[in-house]
Amino acid sequence: MMGNLSAKAASAADGRSVGSNRLGGFVNQAGIYGIAFLFIALGAVLQSFGVINNFMSAQNFLNIIDAVALLGIVTVGMAFVTYSGHYADMSVPTTMALAGIVSVEILKYGFVPAVAAALAVGLAIGAINAIVVGRLKANPIIWTLAMNYVTMGVIRFVWVNKQIYPDMKTDDALTLALFDNIFRFRFFDLIGLPVLVLVILMVAGQFLLMRTAYGAQLKLTGSARKAAKFSGINVERVVGIAFILAAFTATIGGLTVTSLSRVGAWYNGAGYDFKAVTAIVIGGMTLAGGRGSIIGVIGGAFVIGLMNNIMTLLGIGTFSQDMIRGAIFIAVVGINAKSLRSLGRDDA
Amino acid sequence: MNADRIGLALEMRQVSKRFPGTIAVDEVSFEVYAGEVHALVGENGAGKSTLMHVLAGSFNDYTGKIFINDKEVELHSPSVAKKFGIGMIYQELSLAKPISIAENILAGRLPRKGFFIDRGAMRTEAKRLMGKVGLDLDPDLPIEDISQHEAQLVEIAKVLGTSPCILVMDEPTSALSREEVERLFDIIDGLRKRGLAIVYISHHLPEIFRIADRVTVMRDGKKVGTKDIAEASREEIVQMMVGRSVKEFYKRRERTIGEVRLRVRGLSRWGFFHDVDFQARRGEILGICGLSGAGRSELARVLVGLDQADAGGIELDGAEVRGEGMAYYLAKGIAYLSEDRKSEGLALRLSVEDNTLSAVIPRLTRGIFFNKKDGAATVRRLLKELSVYPPDPARTVGNLSGGNQQKVLLAKWIASDPKVLILDEPTRGVDIGAKLIIHDAVEKLAEAGNTVVLISSDLPELVGLSDRVMIMRKGRFTREMSYEQCTEEALLLAANGEESA
Repeated sequence: MMGNLSAKAASAADGRSVGSNRLGGFVNQAGIYGIAFLFIALGAVLQSFGVINNFMSAQNFLNIIDAVALLGIVTVGMAFVTYSGHYADMSVPTTMALAGIVSVEILKYGFVPAVAAALAVGLAIGAINAIVVGRLKANPIIWTLAMNYVTMGVIRFVWVNKQIYPDMKTDDALTLALFDNIFRFRFFDLIGLPVLVLVILMVAGQFLLMRTAYGAQLKLTGSARKAAKFSGINVERVVGIAFILAAFTATIGGLTVTSLSRVGAWYNGAGYDFKAVTAIVIGGMTLAGGRGSIIGVIGGAFVIGLMNNIMTLLGIGTFSQDMIRGAIFIAVVGINAKSLRSLGRDDA
Repeated sequence: MNADRIGLALEMRQVSKRFPGTIAVDEVSFEVYAGEVHALVGENGAGKSTLMHVLAGSFNDYTGKIFINDKEVELHSPSVAKKFGIGMIYQELSLAKPISIAENILAGRLPRKGFFIDRGAMRTEAKRLMGKVGLDLDPDLPIEDISQHEAQLVEIAKVLGTSPCILVMDEPTSALSREEVERLFDIIDGLRKRGLAIVYISHHLPEIFRIADRVTVMRDGKKVGTKDIAEASREEIVQMMVGRSVKEFYKRRERTIGEVRLRVRGLSRWGFFHDVDFQARRGEILGICGLSGAGRSELARVLVGLDQADAGGIELDGAEVRGEGMAYYLAKGIAYLSEDRKSEGLALRLSVEDNTLSAVIPRLTRGIFFNKKDGAATVRRLLKELSVYPPDPARTVGNLSGGNQQKVLLAKWIASDPKVLILDEPTRGVDIGAKLIIHDAVEKLAEAGNTVVLISSDLPELVGLSDRVMIMRKGRFTREMSYEQCTEEALLLAANGEESA
């Protein structure tokens, strides 16, 4: 009788709650690969009309995947920051650059110490972000931007504008060869090591987000920090770990780009902050936090890679590409906010 | 019939409003006289808010006729409604916190002198309107520096500034203490004498009997009836609201009370509460009664580890609880249902399931695997037990009605199976149906041997549920009453510092 009563009361108010959760969630997460497919179809059509050449070739797809790998690696960690409701880690570019430079500097002591030193520096930046944003509750964007500037200042102060070449730093041919070539390694002459690293990070990230207690706590924290705190979750730690994860993948990305370009330099991570956020948002992870998946986000990186490739093949210049990417970012965020608001779900 | 309608400020004739899939307001006729306080009551979802939204011009697709001062009007936009003299005071305050009282009161129509705001005229006009609600404050104070009660009065002053002839108040007392409510009623009384037609929406029946002239009851989108307050009884109105007898309210079941579980000794937080001693037993519901500002919520915050005590200690099953942070206390078995459901209680954007399991994440983790599926059966059982509607674990909590949200919040804490559950205003602002279900669940929790500490300003709730009630006044426990001694009147007198005869 009680049940009956409240059911009746609630059904009268139910006109406003017509969201179909599961379908929406599926479209959000899997839909990005549909969009990727549309881009491939677009490329194929453009090629069949002779507008672009060489799109539909194995070599071109390998190029796209290689290009996506680096962005994807950085994006996996950054996605945790977005998911935690803290938008983005803007210190990623200089974390990448500094990690790369440090690894080259330490190369004289061997390959493993070089990688370890890069990780130590990268994670230190992550730990500072973790404390300042997680515990002291600084505005994440402003703080990480400031961190980015400070780190850039350190790089410019210590290394001036120098580009640091691995062969200047070590005489050991084996170490040098390993550092210069490791990320060029291709399994079966096909799949590059960065792609493998991305796949490992993606699977690990997806697992962490969806199947562990940390992921569940992060979801709650990202959706409603106060409610998470009142559920007995250590939100400071949870948010801090997200920033450390972002610094970790940025470090891996920094090592990758340094190895591939065979030079440690201050500009090595430039642009990866915004590219990663764009991938995250296109991949269905909303800036409001607590929604989306790592698989979706990597799909977003893939779409960006395809888009860049097609634009380059079309002969669109770098700056125009930037404008187009920026416009797409604004459109996605706008559409997202609007659709969520119209469902009465969000204020982002 | 014509004689009847003399002095009608508002007449709504067979007004209906449909939403996709449901009729929220179904051919409702509603009349309010000038100089009358007309209470509008019903459970959440009964349609009273929708009816008032029609009046406020929120919809352009309602059907039926609306007359204001005998003139037919079409209220198809908020600005039209305002023009016809309809003033709305909503539950959630619409004031901007960082700016001054005067700017808030005169928002959108600040007096100007050429290009500039005429600060002098602004202050004078704000003062004049504040005078109407008996508010004597510096109009330059920002809203964040004044109390909630004063902000409520500012809100009323702001609406009075638009010279309304019909004033709608939606739960205006939900955040006020008893003394503040009395002051608000004096002001409402003054407005009534000046000839305003006032629609007063509330869940609080004693308030309605105190202030209203007539009452209209709605249920399931329809009007059940209108009565003169003088001829109506509380039971009768509740019956009209829920369609059943009020006798079912608080039919107390026998409970076995076990050994002491929670012991609090000399607990103090300077400036808030001092030397608080009490104990609570297994299977007991211990009520804590006090006026707002008596230190109840501050005490709760210390009991659950949100704030640190300055002196004294807490013992659980004979062992001292000493540690920092809510997570520690929760792990020990002390849980807290916050009075602030929307920000401290639920993650509104997440599903019913995610919310219900949010306090038991560690328990659902084996090794590194978090198995949400292991909790699915618990969620389904609790949704059923608490009659959450719709009983869909995947539904976003924010889309549920207030009462159902509150049930999900309770489900979350029941799922954590705490040794001690501290409930802070567990039924504030929810409809009677949800209230009964929540009370039933709380009793079951106690019957299962858990200890419940119930902090509430709802006196019938305290009287009906508690095995004992501690009365808190000015930061100290002043009296204890057993279930047998406890009546609404006795509690109220004790909380006010008077001895009952």
